[in-house]
Amino acid sequence: MKWNLIRTKVLAALGGCLVVGVAAIVTLMSYSFARNSRALAAESVAGAEKLFTILEAREISKMAAVSEALIMDTQVRDAFAAKDRNRLLELTAPLYLKLKSEGITNWMFHAPEPDMAVFLRLHNPVKFGDHLNRYMDKEVALTHAMVTGNELAKAGFAVRILRPVYDAQGTLAGYVEFGEEIGQFIHTMKSQTGDDYGLLLSKKFVDRQFWADSSAVWKRRDNWDDNPDYVLADKTTASDKIIEFHGPLSSVPERGVVLERFQEGDSAFVRGIFPIHDAAGNTVGAMFVVRDISALYREMRSTRNFLVLVTVGALALGMLLVLVLLNRLVFRRLEHIIEVATRVVGGDYQTEIRVDSDDEVGQFEQLFEQFRRVFVDLMEHVPELQEKV
Amino acid sequence: MSKLYDLKVLIENKIKAEGLDAMTIKGKIGLRSGRTLALISPTTPDDPDAVAKLRLAAKEVLNIDA
Repeated sequence: MKWNLIRTKVLAALGGCLVVGVAAIVTLMSYSFARNSRALAAESVAGAEKLFTILEAREISKMAAVSEALIMDTQVRDAFAAKDRNRLLELTAPLYLKLKSEGITNWMFHAPEPDMAVFLRLHNPVKFGDHLNRYMDKEVALTHAMVTGNELAKAGFAVRILRPVYDAQGTLAGYVEFGEEIGQFIHTMKSQTGDDYGLLLSKKFVDRQFWADSSAVWKRRDNWDDNPDYVLADKTTASDKIIEFHGPLSSVPERGVVLERFQEGDSAFVRGIFPIHDAAGNTVGAMFVVRDISALYREMRSTRNFLVLVTVGALALGMLLVLVLLNRLVFRRLEHIIEVATRVVGGDYQTEIRVDSDDEVGQFEQLFEQFRRVFVDLMEHVPELQEKV
Repeated sequence: MSKLYDLKVLIENKIKAEGLDAMTIKGKIGLRSGRTLALISPTTPDDPDAVAKLRLAAKEVLNIDA
């Protein structure tokens, strides 16, 4: 390939256009996909946060209604006021089984302040008399009104309600508490959105020994050492590696944050996280959101490949067209001029230059033909001139 | 006879012997050397520069070692 030829230079320029065109398409598609996937992730995080709040409110409302009905039951109220644990258990145990099937996992009666010890645990009746000393216990003792919120306790992270129970004379008999494990929420959320979720708990608020014991009880892997800042309490996805966040959960912004995309083979996932607070306002956990965008990713790749193919095809066709045109309009005619000029110098005074067009090359052909005639005339008169000399 | 003319004869003989297109070959040699072969006659005075250029052109176009 001769680089001094116009044909080579034009070909190189068109080739450059092809490479730039393909690179531009790939870059644009990647940029567009990154933007879209980020928007989808932001939508997933915002949607999950909203859904979590709705579920939380719905469960609080449900537990408040159940507790309202319960404290209206005089038999239960009297048994609690009389501190008759067996009677209270006998009266409430059948209801607990029904409530448990509806998602209420924790049900407790507490003695009034200042003791506030657990009087009866419906979910574990053999264990009682212990003190929980939680924020909600202090708050309900202070206000004597229903307290709601999330509370991370040894039994787990649950959304709870705690309210006072009064006897027939209006004296405080103690408190009743209902709770629902937040881990259950993520399965409901998955069934509603199709996204995957992971519930992270800050290690600052979880007891190491309790975590090891509960892992053994639930026959799950003790994942305490997987991350320095949090433990993965529950998840809806089979894979642990997709749920990955670096740093303390307290650093997660209030409105949540979109994390980097996760890609594995043909699959792509967008991820995000939003904080979960307890009743006291501490960031005790976070909800990790994973959205599978593999279909979108494959679609983008297929569109990109199609566009690249179309661009390469169109530019290749364009290159061919330009080269054919250049060949017909310029190169072939220039070659003809060179050939005629060479033959004229070699002594052929008959071959003329054909002028078929009045374009730029045509004008040059015309000029060269005139020059050729002058040259031929001069050559034909050389003997005459030599004689004169 | 001049060296230029000897070279011209050598070139014409080679073209004839090989059956080449005389006008085109002579034209190429003429353009490369800067001399029109038709104007070289036995009396054309020798110019060392012109001889060297014609010899080089003949070598390049016809591979003649003169």
